[in-house]
Amino acid sequence: MITVSPQNILDSQNKLDLANMSPEQKALDIHNLNLFYGEKQALQNITMAIPKGQVTAFIGPSGCGKSTLLRCINRMNDLVDSCHIEGEINLHGQNIYDKHVDVAALRRKVGMVFQRPNPFPKSIYENVIYGLRIMGENNRRVLDEAVENSLKAAALWNEVKDRLHDSALGLSGGQQQRLVIARAIAIEPEVLLLDEPTSALDPISTLTIEELINDLKQQFTVVIVTHNMQQAARVSDQTAFMYMGDLIEYSDTNTLFTTPVKKKTEDYITGRYG
Amino acid sequence: MDNLNIGRHISGQFNEDLERVINHVMQMGGLVEKQLSDALTSVHESDEELAKIVHQSDYKINNLEVSIDDECTRIIAKRQPAAGDLRLIMAIVKTIADLERIGDEAEKIAEVTLQSLSNEHRGLLMNLDNLGRKVLEVLQKTLDAFTRMDVDAAIKTHGSDDTIDREYEALMRQLMTYMMEEPRSIPQIMTVIWSARALERIGDRCQNICEYIIYFVKGKVVRHTSIEDVKKL
Repeated sequence: MITVSPQNILDSQNKLDLANMSPEQKALDIHNLNLFYGEKQALQNITMAIPKGQVTAFIGPSGCGKSTLLRCINRMNDLVDSCHIEGEINLHGQNIYDKHVDVAALRRKVGMVFQRPNPFPKSIYENVIYGLRIMGENNRRVLDEAVENSLKAAALWNEVKDRLHDSALGLSGGQQQRLVIARAIAIEPEVLLLDEPTSALDPISTLTIEELINDLKQQFTVVIVTHNMQQAARVSDQTAFMYMGDLIEYSDTNTLFTTPVKKKTEDYITGRYG
Repeated sequence: MDNLNIGRHISGQFNEDLERVINHVMQMGGLVEKQLSDALTSVHESDEELAKIVHQSDYKINNLEVSIDDECTRIIAKRQPAAGDLRLIMAIVKTIADLERIGDEAEKIAEVTLQSLSNEHRGLLMNLDNLGRKVLEVLQKTLDAFTRMDVDAAIKTHGSDDTIDREYEALMRQLMTYMMEEPRSIPQIMTVIWSARALERIGDRCQNICEYIIYFVKGKVVRHTSIEDVKKL
């Protein structure tokens, strides 16, 4: 009798051991992160490592802290007065909450895209190069190249290449969102944070963006917050389930959506009362 | 049904969809059990009428298989089940395929009744009946474990296929000896062999269903795994 247990030999993707990644595999290393809004604790002892060049999704019910955690990664929460943070988020071994960190420089490395497309009331061209202009880049050739590359990477080039100098506000919602993604990647960040990037879009635009996310991970580390569980299942390599400020379960997406370990995860992803 | 935990979805419609499909699987299980029981009775009592009824009733099982398959496809399309719900649907889709095949095997067994065996070969059917009763018991236990999604019962029943295999081999040896001693009776004995084989296959299919139960409850694939390893779960 053969006693070797059968294995799925078609699953060629080498699973990452999320708990034991080498420093080279990690894009971000979050360590004992606690966050308070005034008296209220919104994140409790979050420890997780986000792998490089992959898509990591945060899911969970409203108010579970997933957006808060995402915002911590480029210090967006600094803008909230009552917010107080303990713990570390390391980007290349450097704690981004260190006193000496230049927040503007950090945000160049960690770009962000929000729920509603927010193009500036400028031309498509000017929107894409906005970040580069702020950084002092004025060479026309460099800017032209950046516009073409970013729009191509954001899968928007073919649709707008003949009207680059038209107002960005004339684009459809889905196109605006891709334009905002192009703007975010024009400055070549390392990490791209997406905060519910498709929740204001129609299903076709949503699929285009999802396809785009899959292409983006070749170049960037993508972290996405989504309310749409199927979207997390479709686009991400890792999924973290959060509940009331706690990180409940963090594992590869295939496992989390077929055989979650924690009951809370199971209840949430199968649409049951908690 | 408590282990199924299906009643707690926020969507009442989803609860209803799952309950309906599970009820249909149970209905199908009941039909399959009756078919096998009738087939064995028809052989035991040489009841040709009953054998014909078995033969004519198989379509009900086939229809249920097609309907449940459809229901599961619709649930996947509309609800995108995940985790336990997804494993349940996968387990059901596979279980009904095995139940349908058990129905076919029962039909084959009933056919023995319709073959006129001479009185001297009737004795062989006694041994077939013993094997049949054991297989029927395993089928009942399997369906019972499925109804309650009772993983312990499934593991236990999974192990009992060994007993059936041993009994089947013993019967085969006996039939082989008989054929060597009396080559003229080979055609009749072949009929008995086909039925014994059908019973042995039903045992295997019950074992498959137990594996789906284990997969649903534990999320572990135990196909092609030795019985000893399954027991360690």
